[in-house]
Amino acid sequence: MASTNTSPERTADRLTGSPRRQHRGRRLRRYLLVLGPGLIAANAGNDAGGIVTYASAGAQFRYRVLFLMVLITLALVIVQEMAARLGAYTGQGLMSLIREEFSLRVATFAVVCLIVANVGLVVAEFAGIGAALELFGVSRYLSVPAAAVVIWGSVVFGSYRYAERIFLLLSLVFFAYPIAAVLAHPDWHMVISQTFLPHFTATRAFLLLSVALVGTTITPYMQLYQAAAVADKGIGPDEYRMARADTIAGSIFSNVIAASIIVATGAAIGGSGPLTSAKQAAQALKPVAGAAAEKLFGIGLLGASALAAAVVPLSTAYALAEAIGAERSVSRKFSEAPLFLGLFTAQVALGAALALKPGNLVNLLIGTQVLNGLITPIVLAFILILANRRSLLGEAVNGPVFRAVAFLCVCAVGALSLVVFGQTLLGWFGIA
Amino acid sequence: MSRMPPLPGRRVLQHYREGRNQRLLTLKAIRESLVSVAGLVGRPVRNQKGAEIGDVTDVVVKWVGDDDYPPVTGLVVRVGRREAYVPFDQVDKLDSDQVVLKSARLDLRDFARREGEVTLVRDVLDHQLVDVDGVKVVRAADLYLAPVFDSLRLVGVDVSAQSLLRRLGPARWRTRPTPDKVIDWAAIQPFGTPTGPAGDVKLRTPHQGLRRLRPGEVADLLENLGRTARRELLSVLEPEAAADALEEMEPRELNALLQEAPAEEAARLVARMEPDEAVDALRELEPEDREELLGHMPPATANRLLRLLDYPDDTAGGLMTTNLVLVTLDETVAAVRRGLRDAQEHRTDIDAVIVVDDEGRLIDDVTLYELFVAEPDAKMSDLVGPPTPVTIHPDATSREVVEALTENRGSSLLVVDQEGHPMGRILADDVVDSLVPDQARLHFPKLPA
Repeated sequence: MASTNTSPERTADRLTGSPRRQHRGRRLRRYLLVLGPGLIAANAGNDAGGIVTYASAGAQFRYRVLFLMVLITLALVIVQEMAARLGAYTGQGLMSLIREEFSLRVATFAVVCLIVANVGLVVAEFAGIGAALELFGVSRYLSVPAAAVVIWGSVVFGSYRYAERIFLLLSLVFFAYPIAAVLAHPDWHMVISQTFLPHFTATRAFLLLSVALVGTTITPYMQLYQAAAVADKGIGPDEYRMARADTIAGSIFSNVIAASIIVATGAAIGGSGPLTSAKQAAQALKPVAGAAAEKLFGIGLLGASALAAAVVPLSTAYALAEAIGAERSVSRKFSEAPLFLGLFTAQVALGAALALKPGNLVNLLIGTQVLNGLITPIVLAFILILANRRSLLGEAVNGPVFRAVAFLCVCAVGALSLVVFGQTLLGWFGIA
Repeated sequence: MSRMPPLPGRRVLQHYREGRNQRLLTLKAIRESLVSVAGLVGRPVRNQKGAEIGDVTDVVVKWVGDDDYPPVTGLVVRVGRREAYVPFDQVDKLDSDQVVLKSARLDLRDFARREGEVTLVRDVLDHQLVDVDGVKVVRAADLYLAPVFDSLRLVGVDVSAQSLLRRLGPARWRTRPTPDKVIDWAAIQPFGTPTGPAGDVKLRTPHQGLRRLRPGEVADLLENLGRTARRELLSVLEPEAAADALEEMEPRELNALLQEAPAEEAARLVARMEPDEAVDALRELEPEDREELLGHMPPATANRLLRLLDYPDDTAGGLMTTNLVLVTLDETVAAVRRGLRDAQEHRTDIDAVIVVDDEGRLIDDVTLYELFVAEPDAKMSDLVGPPTPVTIHPDATSREVVEALTENRGSSLLVVDQEGHPMGRILADDVVDSLVPDQARLHFPKLPA
């Protein structure tokens, strides 16, 4: 970047020290530090599925998964950085890049994987809404369809911006977790040793939960969002350093919150076996809220779920419409944007319908994260291949060391997914 | 009057059937003469003796020049692990399912893109294009080649979803063109600039049809394109047309566009926008960015915009444009008309001329209608007279602006300072825009802002 090119016409905006770059730098730094795409993207991992999965991990294995979280954080940083770099250097979203760079069949495979993963996410969000309102005594057979109608209506008829702010505000409740983790007086010695020393258990439950943790922390949706947000904000190679800092900081921050959920829940109900209800998960907030812990948890869960229940189908529809070739800025009339509106409506409807499946909501939530975890390595492989292409990124292509580390990450995540996938298959046939 | 339409008798049905057969035959003929580029990929390349020597990976066309339909200049063929270039004059027969070469021997040259050439599969298929006639951004689902005169040319782009499905299916389907939703290549503005030997960017001549588009339509295209294509479209537009289109863009999209463009270029574009729109665009930027853009503008323009920026967004000063036509009492109508002719680039901001006295104070606002019906040799002093125009001061709120505009019963409203010097004009359409800020063009919310 810091080229020593001194030709006068280039000096103006290529050289690192030019006033332009400095101005932009200050502006962006201020902006990104407040609400950068990296921060939002990574914190999308702390949605309904994330919170329940982290809480379940704490309840079942106490602090034992913390070491895994360190590895996952590393992988998340690597992946999100690649997605942000692709967005900044090509100015395009991932779906659009995949359509242009791969053969149509391969691209279709990627798109189908993404749709499955994202529908899984939408199911999780509606299940989260159901679970949250059950804490307030509302049946999910009432709350989930109602929420679907409200979310669909507010997006299609245009009052969504206000709804979004309310949901965002509600979900801030989860910032109580780090405080709860400290107030719960966990065994810090054990927390630290299990964070930095590997503690694996080769049980099926541990493996399954590991995949769920991978799936909820490195959700394919997050990479989609990261690339699109960087590209849409007009962040280019010149400003990429800032965007990268934001991406890395965002990934680490979101996983610190995730770890605090694990620690708080582990300290409160650790060792009590897998999580079975939202009520149980809410116990972790007792050190902060006392008797109101359930209500507080319910509010946060509702906000986080409702926020994502609109955003995930919306941005999936955008990405798909773009890849297929329809417009990106879509009008609200069905006749003008049938594909886009159809995709959005179908996702909301399907997500809400599947969330009504009888059975335990918490299990359903974790199940969708396992599904996401199985798909994650596929999407990661696509991103890695794209970021390895010099024809696409030029000088910003992955270096040899980065390439090797990223390759290892994808392999590790892939191996984990394959083991769990194989186990599940064998389980279906009654062999294991 | 009660005559019934004839029942569809035997003859009508027969006629219909004949018509249908005719259409099917035509469609079949079209299908057989078209070659699908997507279908050609992976197809065998044989020599004169029928021995297979490789398979097609790409089709090269030359698209610099005035040709509406770019001619195929060669094929990229994979032979073993090499990508070889086969000039089109060595091709004897190009069918939809195989390519036969003229000679038995193939001179294997590694493929290197020459100046003005574009590889269709890598650079065009599945990429964004602009359909200038339909004013839409499309993605090429397939490209069709057809013999035109003596050469094989790129004639159309398929944008149907069926073609995507066809390409997913078995190879047999892939080669069969499905020309249901095909856009004439002559109506297409492609992107992906062909590079010269030194990697220098060669701009293609812009599509003539781009000039006919309304600014709002160009704005839609700019918003829908990916970054590279958007920068390219912007660079082929006339500067004036580009600035007009920018005025119509959504603030968020415009912001991103100005952000990704080099500062000099962004400044040039903003300077060409109408002052009130330029101020709106600048307001959206962060202070440092704003200063930087203003620094790249001619000092006069920058100062004018800076003064406008001082007024808050929702006051008369924030709404007004400063493109005014000022005339004095002793000028003739003919002279004023000549003056208007020179102010053509601001035509959207002018609906009247302002008559001022020697001190520059407002006397009257004379509408274009009055000017149009007046005798050329009449003086402006003949045209002024009651009623006096309703005016407003720059700090007035938007509510007061609406009231004054209603009272004035014109299409615009003058803003004057305390001594009565005209400062700007508020146009009714800008008031409408400010009253319905987000609903002006109904779009879905994007990702969380």
